Amino acid sequence: MRKSRVYDIGFMIAITILWGLWAAVACLAPTGIATAGQRQTSFFKLSTYEKFKLKNGLTVYLMERHEVPLIYISAVFPAGAVRDAGKSGLAYLTAETLFSGTKSYSKKQIEEYLEFLGANYYAYADVETAGISMSFINTDQDRVFPLLKEVIQDASFDPGEFEKRKKRLLLELAQEKEQPSVVIGAYFNKFIFGEHGYGNPIYGTRASVKKIRSIDARAFYNAHYRPEESALVIVGDFQTSQMKKKVQELFEAWRSKGLPAPPKQVPVFDKSRILLVNKSDATETQFALGALGIPRNHPDYVAVQVVNTIFGGRFTSRLNEALRINAGLTYGAYSTFNAYKDSGTFAISSFTRTESTVKAIDIALDVLKRFRAEGVDQEALTSAGSYLTGQFPLLYETPDSLASLLAAMFFYGFDESFVNDFQKNVESVTVEKAREIIAKHFPGDNLQFVLIGKAAAIRDQVRKYGELSEKEIKSDGF
Amino acid sequence: MTTAEDVHTFTLKNGMKVFVLEDHSIPNATLQIFFKVGSRNECPGITGISHFLEHMMFKGTARYGSKLFDQALENAGGSSNAYTTENVTVYQDWVPNSALELIFEMEADRIGNLSFDKRIGESERGVVLSEYTTGYENSDYDLLEDQLRSVAYQAHPYRWSVIGYESDIRNWRQRDIKDYFDRYYAPNNAIAVVVGDVTLAQVKALAVKYLEPIPARAAPRPVHTREPEQRGEKRLIVLKDVSSPHILIAYHVPETGGTDYYALNLLSSIFSSGKSSRLYSALISDKQLATEISTYMPNALDPTLFYVYAVCADGVNVKTLEKAILREIDKVIAGGVTEKELRKAQNNMVASFYRSLETISNKADMIGTYEIFFGSYKKLFEVADAYRKVTAMDIKTAAAKYLKKANRTVGVLQESEED
Repeated sequence: MRKSRVYDIGFMIAITILWGLWAAVACLAPTGIATAGQRQTSFFKLSTYEKFKLKNGLTVYLMERHEVPLIYISAVFPAGAVRDAGKSGLAYLTAETLFSGTKSYSKKQIEEYLEFLGANYYAYADVETAGISMSFINTDQDRVFPLLKEVIQDASFDPGEFEKRKKRLLLELAQEKEQPSVVIGAYFNKFIFGEHGYGNPIYGTRASVKKIRSIDARAFYNAHYRPEESALVIVGDFQTSQMKKKVQELFEAWRSKGLPAPPKQVPVFDKSRILLVNKSDATETQFALGALGIPRNHPDYVAVQVVNTIFGGRFTSRLNEALRINAGLTYGAYSTFNAYKDSGTFAISSFTRTESTVKAIDIALDVLKRFRAEGVDQEALTSAGSYLTGQFPLLYETPDSLASLLAAMFFYGFDESFVNDFQKNVESVTVEKAREIIAKHFPGDNLQFVLIGKAAAIRDQVRKYGELSEKEIKSDGF
Repeated sequence: MTTAEDVHTFTLKNGMKVFVLEDHSIPNATLQIFFKVGSRNECPGITGISHFLEHMMFKGTARYGSKLFDQALENAGGSSNAYTTENVTVYQDWVPNSALELIFEMEADRIGNLSFDKRIGESERGVVLSEYTTGYENSDYDLLEDQLRSVAYQAHPYRWSVIGYESDIRNWRQRDIKDYFDRYYAPNNAIAVVVGDVTLAQVKALAVKYLEPIPARAAPRPVHTREPEQRGEKRLIVLKDVSSPHILIAYHVPETGGTDYYALNLLSSIFSSGKSSRLYSALISDKQLATEISTYMPNALDPTLFYVYAVCADGVNVKTLEKAILREIDKVIAGGVTEKELRKAQNNMVASFYRSLETISNKADMIGTYEIFFGSYKKLFEVADAYRKVTAMDIKTAAAKYLKKANRTVGVLQESEED
């Protein structure tokens, strides 16, 4: 259902939070809650949960939450676009057709059955993982689980249904190019990672998708939806002992059927480059500039987020203050560290009217330059720390986000110390440590630029940023 | 589970009504202040001013100068946002409970003492122009809906968009903003909702200390314009370089919570909620005429529109898609909906109700929304019953009453005037 349109003051910051620190993590619950009126910020601990492995290697997390009579499921598989292996869009189409029929249920039966119960369900693929997300009223669990079991172990990839979804995707790939804010991330990742799998556009390209068949999806499913590299997370209104038994009965017989291919090398850059994507009817320029970042398990991960909060991670950040609050050139400017398993990106992102493109980019570069030269003071660190820890519990409030957190913990290999020591780690970032973080992780040269806008109006002015290459937004791919 | 009895309410001497829901699941709280003002209160020349004023509310007072609102809040571990619709302007703060007093102080300060600095206003005009540009640059739907509303409505202010006309954004004056503020930002024209790790006594004390001293103002004049009955189908074409045509069909229907509201909402769910819904299964799964389809009714204080939106599948003529959509609508008018479809839609409404009560922020939003649009927050807790009372015959009757040709506007967004 389409949401009523609203105009809000700071949606860019909400997006920053989603894309940045919280991209891989989600939700926890406090124990030892401070009572109202207490003046100190409380420490948070992740609620208790049970983690175990089935004989086939599937990792299971169970966490009880009893506020509402719902059960949430999050299943995560190592089956993202990074594993497309030349068939760009394959991971996405596989996920998109997971619910399109199984051994004993047709697509129509699955849809009618789940939707009659008021269940929410979807499957997704992103850069590194694929997953299933479901929620339903707890009294329906015996109706939902047998179906979920088949979706995970015995999806049928009916050729007719597959071709229908593929046909829609081919049009969607053309349509998404009509929204620069939607596609700039795909251009940026491709520009940074090149042939490495992290550069694969999640939804694929038209040329590639045209060639994909349902048997490709089945082979991908067999190779990458593997119990020993996957996790099943269940959070909600149930009893752990009963749920444990149920999960064992349902999923113990699942076996992997193929082998995944090894990953490629991440590139390095020795010069600045700029990709100008021409959208001839554009009235504004979208831009992203940055470099390689850090992987999720990097020891500096939390410190980088603290420093980035000051630089471009909240409304009063240096970037947003310069570009929006002081200059009035944009509705929002922000920076993010997107962290993957083996690498990551750092990007400054914003948008502005065509005529102010260079002015806005110059300001962004100047903010970065000054940040590198001047560092941060204790006052800024204290403020960023209290912002991050103060907002922490709100990010970890729902069973849904708890389920995503546990799934992320499994895939990226971190544990509850991320949560339980978060405040301590945030507060341990000193001015000196911040200086090191900036020197190490906020790039000073060899920046990579992606601009989507009216090339004829800005081409000559933006050459100064680096080696220029151009694409047409309507051309296939990124 | 939260119940209506858990929500406490009191009214300050200046007329501001306050709602409090204690929820100690996390050590945080949210304060959300709903002003009953939006673009429906504007007139040509100052369209978009409600939204602009929302931006200016972050730009400082004598006590908390420019930038200090956001800085003080973030220093204390809080965050904030605000949004404007056709009907309301809402200010939201999310804080650790240690910052509860700070947000009461700062919210009261900006309602009581807002500066209208000219230089800052000019800079913010640039921000809003960027918001205007980026909205239309990145959403074909927004472009089509805004054009359609300008045709579907002849008289009512719902005919312009919340962001306003570009020429109005460029030309309104500081004086206009100040006048508008004085007219609508009265404590007696607002409600405050607090949900989280607080106590009723604590909130009461803070509300009395900070919000109550703001003087009441004369109640703003109600919007009296009523949209005249539509007398025949209206059609429009919007040109844009798009890869396949979009179609938006809109029917005039009563306001939120009004006659037939629950029946129409269930009908919307039966039409487009989920892949087994009528429009999705017929037009996307079976006939493959569309790639996207949705129906909805926005929350509205005055009679509004029931929207049906779809995007043509590759190579499909928009007239073919339109006919197929109208055929599905006519089927409901002629044959109604099945008991099973009704039950499914009702089940979905109950599940959505549970999902809407998962966070302190959603709870505050729902309490405020129901108080303003449905006349009482208590209606929120009666929603499952309200939907259960609707019969299949009610839905058929409502479909026949509103979804008729003379009552609709059809908008098409496509590449050229040619078919």
